[in-house]
Amino acid sequence: MASVASIFALLAVIGFLILSAAKFAKYSKFNQHSRFDLYPVPKEGNGRGEYGGSYMEEDLWWEKPRSINHVAELVDMGKEMFFIRKLFMNQPSLWVPSMLFHGGIYFMMLFSVLLLIAAFVASPVLETITTVVGVIGFCCALLGCLLLLIRRLTDASLAAYTTPIEYFNLILIAAVLITGIISWLSAANVFEVARSIVTFNFAELPGIVVLHLILLGIMMLYIPASKMGHYAGKFFTFHSVLWNNEPNLPGNAVNSAVKASNAAGATVKWSAPHASPAPAPAPEPIAEEA
Amino acid sequence: MSKDTKHLRPRDLGRDVAVLSPTDDLKPLPSTFDASLEPEFKEFKDEWAETYCASLDGFVAIDTLKRPETKEEEEEFVRKFLSGLEKLFQDSNKNAVQPLALNMEFCAKCNTCSEACHIYEESNGDEIYRPSFRVDVLRRIYKKHFTTAGKMLGGFVGADIELNWETIARLAELSYRCNLCRRCAQACPMGLDNGLAAREIRKIFSQEMGIAPKAIHEKGTELQLKVGSTTGMTTPAFVDTAEFIEEDIEERTGRSFKFPMDKEGADVLLIHNAGEFIAWPDNPAAFAILLDEAGVDWTLSSEMCAYDGVNYGAWYDDIQAKKIAAKQFEVAKKLGVKRIVMGECGHAHKAIAVSADRMFAAEDKVPVESFLPLMLTLVREGRLKFDPSKNNFPVTLHDPCNYVRQMGIVQPQREIIRACTTDFREMTPHGVDNYCCGGGSGFAIMNNQNFSDFRNHVSARKKLEQIINAFGEDFENPDVLKYVCAPCSNCKGTIRELLKDYKITAKYNVQYSGLVELMVNALVSMEKPFFEFLEE
Ligand code: SF4
Ligand code: SF4
Repeated sequence: MASVASIFALLAVIGFLILSAAKFAKYSKFNQHSRFDLYPVPKEGNGRGEYGGSYMEEDLWWEKPRSINHVAELVDMGKEMFFIRKLFMNQPSLWVPSMLFHGGIYFMMLFSVLLLIAAFVASPVLETITTVVGVIGFCCALLGCLLLLIRRLTDASLAAYTTPIEYFNLILIAAVLITGIISWLSAANVFEVARSIVTFNFAELPGIVVLHLILLGIMMLYIPASKMGHYAGKFFTFHSVLWNNEPNLPGNAVNSAVKASNAAGATVKWSAPHASPAPAPAPEPIAEEA
Repeated sequence: MSKDTKHLRPRDLGRDVAVLSPTDDLKPLPSTFDASLEPEFKEFKDEWAETYCASLDGFVAIDTLKRPETKEEEEEFVRKFLSGLEKLFQDSNKNAVQPLALNMEFCAKCNTCSEACHIYEESNGDEIYRPSFRVDVLRRIYKKHFTTAGKMLGGFVGADIELNWETIARLAELSYRCNLCRRCAQACPMGLDNGLAAREIRKIFSQEMGIAPKAIHEKGTELQLKVGSTTGMTTPAFVDTAEFIEEDIEERTGRSFKFPMDKEGADVLLIHNAGEFIAWPDNPAAFAILLDEAGVDWTLSSEMCAYDGVNYGAWYDDIQAKKIAAKQFEVAKKLGVKRIVMGECGHAHKAIAVSADRMFAAEDKVPVESFLPLMLTLVREGRLKFDPSKNNFPVTLHDPCNYVRQMGIVQPQREIIRACTTDFREMTPHGVDNYCCGGGSGFAIMNNQNFSDFRNHVSARKKLEQIINAFGEDFENPDVLKYVCAPCSNCKGTIRELLKDYKITAKYNVQYSGLVELMVNALVSMEKPFFEFLEE
């Protein structure tokens, strides 16, 4: 059983990567669409990104070089990815549990990487750092997860929108975290288990560890298939939709894509009367030759 | 009472009640405004409820959405709705499927977008006006009918809304309780856009079922495509009107000018919202005075759709939007102008400069810009000389969502106002964080049944509050003339109604108009005031 659980957990990590890539691929197919710019767009140069200005503030903008501030864009992305800035600005009370949760997950990801290294490199210092990172990760993620669950259950305005599966998502993550905490605190040495898995040298494991590994595997496969795969969604909502203000000008990539899209046409047509092209006017009756 | 329905859930949309959530709990206006001046709501007529869908909140937006007479008609209605919904996710909707699909899949149900919405705020948190409410209804229907998880797991994944005429009609009405201002999208941590999604709902009804408010479809895009303008003005009528304005303004201000018409090869083709020529003729006149004074090589067009820059398709229908934009570009190409410059109309700006940008190959278009950077260039180059003391009254600026939040044109108008006025007062908040005037997405021109009440009391309430607050203590003093600068025809129309219905001009001496009128009034070369309200 231990070896099955270990292999499943390993495969699940690979599955996570493949399914996440598939999600990116799914949305990339729809990248050619209308413009939906929404300002501020942080990459706008000449200081415009800060107040929400754009190149369209310039007279004859299409004749002028565009100023793009990639650093500002990266900084903005970083704030959103690592600190969920929009939530902090607009709903601080929800930001606290959400930040704990997401911050905890980032620590868990770091913990996994350190664990992988520690499986090959025996170093007490590395083990100490890994343990500290893991403790922070488990505690913050679990606390955040439980607070989010409580908030969702007790705040009527959130509960009105929450579906059973969305509670299930949080409960699944909490279960993974709780079984992990019990496993590593009392049942097994996390470094030894990690070493045995990555070297395919499977040892017998206590039941709780087996349960943890199976739940972890399920979660890894489930995340990209569920709305928890929003790390992929968020890439597109910002980069492909809200911040995508590239104009369609002769010779540029947008123009080529527009032409290709127009040439391809649509296989499905809308049905309202005005959606069909008007029939050509009937030709004038030609008088019969006498 | 909407107080009792604050916690409606999306799946309650079909609840069997006469009115799901009556709009009767609005936020009070600032205390500097005499609350007794707030106008009454129109008296409700039972025949509206018998004919249309008035069961959402007691208002009727869609005067083509008629109740079915037979069970078969109802079933056909449901079938067509589902067919339209499916098409939103097929190649029939290539231009918007990505943001919509992202919204369907990734909403975290965090409600962070709610507080950003002026309609939700001003209704004191009426659940049905929450930006995520209508989209969650759509999501649940979509899941139930078009996803494997929804078909297999039903209510467990939220696929739990039963469809009948009332439910679908309420959703249609609900898509017309959003100004499409996209302020909520700025706040969403996932980058999801509930404004865009509301427009997608409108598209199902229009593009698949042929259902849209008459004011924007039959008397809007269809009329424009037929006669050239949503005002109903034909080319000869337009040319006559322009000539009449030339004479009238000269008589009143002593300033003579001519509207150049169909001038081939001009640098600038200026396209106005044709409503300006009828409702606010001072506006196109002011443009003409400024461009002439600065020596710009410009022209108007008298051709179909190009003397009217509006494109109501931007509010509800991609097919109509494309037809109108195609005509506008065609005229500009034929005239051989170097650029199209959009006058003071926000949605016309966005429709042609942004929404239509990827509809056609670049070679089939003419570059488009806003009037604002052009005017700023003329000011900076000293081609327009102002005496700001001629505008020595407090001025506040409304930022039209379409070219501010949705095009990033923020600073030029501010630099111009500072150059031609003496007492500029920003609204709070302003710039890209502005609030919609409340007339966005068609509301400004929708006056059927009691819908103007929704606009004047609910969707425009936040703007009214901002206007009142922008003037601080001066608001109450009728001896201080105050000016709301609204450089957009739709916004101006909404603000005109507010100032009239709430007696704000009469009681508090608050005037309104556009930006170019302020500029002309401050021109050193003007001998008489340009504003009628400054005349003795
Ligand atoms: S803020 Fe975004 S993620 Fe949250 S409820 Fe609104 S649309 Fe959904
Ligand atoms: S687009 Fe504007 S009006 Fe519509 S829900 Fe969002 S904030 Fe409210």
